[in-house]
Amino acid sequence: MDLQNQQRVKDVVEKYGVENVIVILGSSDPEGAEIYAETVTNGDPTYAGPLAGVPLGLAVYHIFEPEIREEIDPAVWEEQMEMMEMVLDPEALSQAVAKMREQYSKYTLE
Amino acid sequence: MVKGKLAGKKLILLGERDGIPGPVMEACLKDSGAEIVFSVTECFV
Repeated sequence: MDLQNQQRVKDVVEKYGVENVIVILGSSDPEGAEIYAETVTNGDPTYAGPLAGVPLGLAVYHIFEPEIREEIDPAVWEEQMEMMEMVLDPEALSQAVAKMREQYSKYTLE
Repeated sequence: MVKGKLAGKKLILLGERDGIPGPVMEACLKDSGAEIVFSVTECFV
């Protein structure tokens, strides 16, 4: 993840509290999604950015995951997301993020 | 439309140019009852 964006994530968490923040990813490939999810839960795996060694434990989801999708108006989903849902692999993306969340997140959407 | 789980939460939207860009996620989630506090679209070149 971009180093500046890592800092922004850190700032948002400091401002609002880790338990109040949800990260939602729009990654196109499972490997990338996994790295993003790891970065906001267990810390930057590349040890390059402000989140290196900072295990925030944030609740993180891919937008394709049911927990997020069911919060979105179906008409809006159809208009905004349907095309990308056909092009990308929602199942693999969801699994990649869920795996990291189950391993490292201290919070989830309940 | 406020449905529930996201109500009152602060959202960080990490979009991707070749996936779902930030503004698309914003459009989807603006009525979720959560506040979008940071939205970005990263790209890999």
